[in-house]
Amino acid sequence: MRKTIVLLLGIIGATLIYFTSASAYKVFRDDLRLPQTPLKQSAEYRLVLITQELETPFWDKVAAGAREEAAKHGAMLAVWGSYNNDSDEFLKKLEIAIHSRMDGIIVQGLDTEAFKELVKYKAASYGIPVITVGIDVPDSLRRTYVGSDQFRAGQMIARQLVEDMGPEGTVILVRDSGNAHYQEQRLDGIRSVLESYPGIELRYAETQGTRDQVIAAMQDLMNRSPDAQAFIAANANLTAAMVQEIGRRSRVKPYHIYSFDDSPDMLTLLREGLIDGIIEQSPETMGRISTSLMIDWLKGEKLPLDSKGYHTEIRLRKAVDAP
Amino acid sequence: MNRIQNKILSLTGIVLFIMAAIWMTLTYYSRQTQEQYNAILQRYLRMNEVTGASQQTITDLNNYLIRPTPENLEQLERSRERLRQAKYDVYALRNGDNDFDLTSYTNLIDSLLDAANRALMFQSQMATEDSNEAFNEATRISRSISDMTLTLLDTELKTYDRFYRGIIERSTELNRLGIWLLATITFLLLIFAYWFALSITRPVQKLTQAAKELSRGRFDQKIEVSSNDEIAFLAKMFERMRVSINNLITEIQQKAQLEHELQRNRLLLQESRYRSLQSQIHPHFLFNTLDTLSKKAYLEGAGETSDLLASVAGLLRYSLRRMDRSVTLYEEVRVLRQYMDIQTARFADRLRFVEEIDESCLYVQIPGLTLQPIVENAVIHAVEPMEDGGTITFRVAEDGDRIRVEIEDDGPGIPPDKIAQILKGSAQETEGHTTGIGIGNVVQRLRLFYGQDDVIDIESGPGSGTKVVLRLPKIRRYEGNEQRSDRG
Repeated sequence: MRKTIVLLLGIIGATLIYFTSASAYKVFRDDLRLPQTPLKQSAEYRLVLITQELETPFWDKVAAGAREEAAKHGAMLAVWGSYNNDSDEFLKKLEIAIHSRMDGIIVQGLDTEAFKELVKYKAASYGIPVITVGIDVPDSLRRTYVGSDQFRAGQMIARQLVEDMGPEGTVILVRDSGNAHYQEQRLDGIRSVLESYPGIELRYAETQGTRDQVIAAMQDLMNRSPDAQAFIAANANLTAAMVQEIGRRSRVKPYHIYSFDDSPDMLTLLREGLIDGIIEQSPETMGRISTSLMIDWLKGEKLPLDSKGYHTEIRLRKAVDAP
Repeated sequence: MNRIQNKILSLTGIVLFIMAAIWMTLTYYSRQTQEQYNAILQRYLRMNEVTGASQQTITDLNNYLIRPTPENLEQLERSRERLRQAKYDVYALRNGDNDFDLTSYTNLIDSLLDAANRALMFQSQMATEDSNEAFNEATRISRSISDMTLTLLDTELKTYDRFYRGIIERSTELNRLGIWLLATITFLLLIFAYWFALSITRPVQKLTQAAKELSRGRFDQKIEVSSNDEIAFLAKMFERMRVSINNLITEIQQKAQLEHELQRNRLLLQESRYRSLQSQIHPHFLFNTLDTLSKKAYLEGAGETSDLLASVAGLLRYSLRRMDRSVTLYEEVRVLRQYMDIQTARFADRLRFVEEIDESCLYVQIPGLTLQPIVENAVIHAVEPMEDGGTITFRVAEDGDRIRVEIEDDGPGIPPDKIAQILKGSAQETEGHTTGIGIGNVVQRLRLFYGQDDVIDIESGPGSGTKVVLRLPKIRRYEGNEQRSDRG
């Protein structure tokens, strides 16, 4: 009896002591000081990548490439920007980047006066090199451009169109009214190919960027040109609304629709077979090369940069290729 | 000796020590936590200070641009200094996670200060347009700083998210620890107090039990208390008391037994005296008659008869008078000789009496009528029945601290069971004895007189005679006995 009691008490005591010490260990285990993430000594360059279209597949890839390259060179790289082509916010971010004296700015081009103003005067006065990526604005005194050759992209699309449609037909080119440099380049490229086919008639549809405007413009255009056989959206952002409007009137399949990949919904449209082909660019390469060039330039290893730009690979992806 | 007071003191000391240890640990811990909270708050406050300082700078700049008074300039100077200080403070908060943002942040502050300077410069050059432009830029930068502050705070929250959660977890864990600690200490103290109380009360209980036993009269159980405090001391004393009481009781019992035997012997003596009185109705008449007869015989020329009669008279007188008091061995020997005279007259040549006496030993005290019954016994058993008579040898010699008295005959001996009976004092035959005193009576009286059992011994074998040996102590053990027998 006595033995049992002693054993029981021993067990209770051991349990209590175990839990107490376990609890005490948990309480006193952690260091009470604020954890200090060590500073990276080698981070000489502070770079920033600014885009209007944060968190789209295209720009995510650009950012990933840039980050990878920056990490390789031990530079710090932040990705800033605005969502949904909010250019006011985008410009504000650019100004903040300049004011906070980044070592280098890699920016998605925006063909507006305000953008050119900032890059030409402000960045220059702070001595910050600017590289445009993806979309070029040649007259902004950017150091260089890294991205696709838009003229060649236009040519590729036009050739594919001719191959698919044959040398005769009506082609509608949808463009936005911004007259952005890259869009002009694409159109020039398309025109340069199609000019040599007298059977192909080119019509232009110009629209503002918003969805309703695109739909209105499309309705108007299709009313006027019911015989259109092919559509090319020079600005990828217009494609979704365009396809939607075409789908409302008739079946989409018979039409030949082409566009570019720098808009988030393009891959979905392609996969569903609603469009026939897109020009696929190399966003990761863009990010990598732009960062690498910036670092090289900052180190003074590559002087001067080719102001014409460094073109990355493009290829045409057709609906049948889509997985 | 570990005293009870010490035990209580040490218990109190241990409890105090545990309490103090816990209190100090918790105090230290809460201080640490406090410092930690301060550090965290400091970070947020410093970042917030930048926003405040930059907005203050813009306000003061605006005031000065509108009304360029020295007071306003001084005010502006102060707020710019404040902003600069805030910048240094915030720069110290750099870590791996906010390095980029914080550098941009401090650069923004620099840009703000630059823009403010430019505004002032253009103001002094009266270039109002440019001044306004610079001021607008400063305002925009200030706004960016505010935004950036939010971003930084956000980063801060993200960086230390786990840490903050850790703090919360730890504080709940601390509550739990408190409960566990309370339970453990309560448990341990209960056990310890129980054990401690037991160490005090168990000896007391044992002592109580022992006292109960003693009060019931059981003195033979040892009292053992195996602690090392005052109780053990008490128990030791108690044990000593018990032992002495036990000894006393044993002694009293022995004495009572002795008293009882003495009483019995007195009764025995009285009985024998009564008997002798019965047989001698007129002793004085008899003595006088014997004396007269002795003188008459002497006058008639029968000297031998006269002596014999005198011996008889002496013996009779002695036997009446000396029964209950101690005499010296010398007197006993004298009476023995008278008796032997009488017996020699009776047995003539058949009785041979040999004496070997060391005269220096005759002073010892001996109860009256001791030797005569023994010798008479020898005569009755070893001489009377023999046709050729026998020899009785009487020896007195010194033997260490005792006197050795031997009465030896060459008779047929005594069977061993008879000897044992005699030595036990239970033989009751008095027939044929002159003085009416049997040998059993002698044995008992001798033992009582000297207070020891080995005074008398009988050596005998069939056909080899009998030897009665008395070993009388030179000094009696119970002197008091003599007094008492004198009075009786």
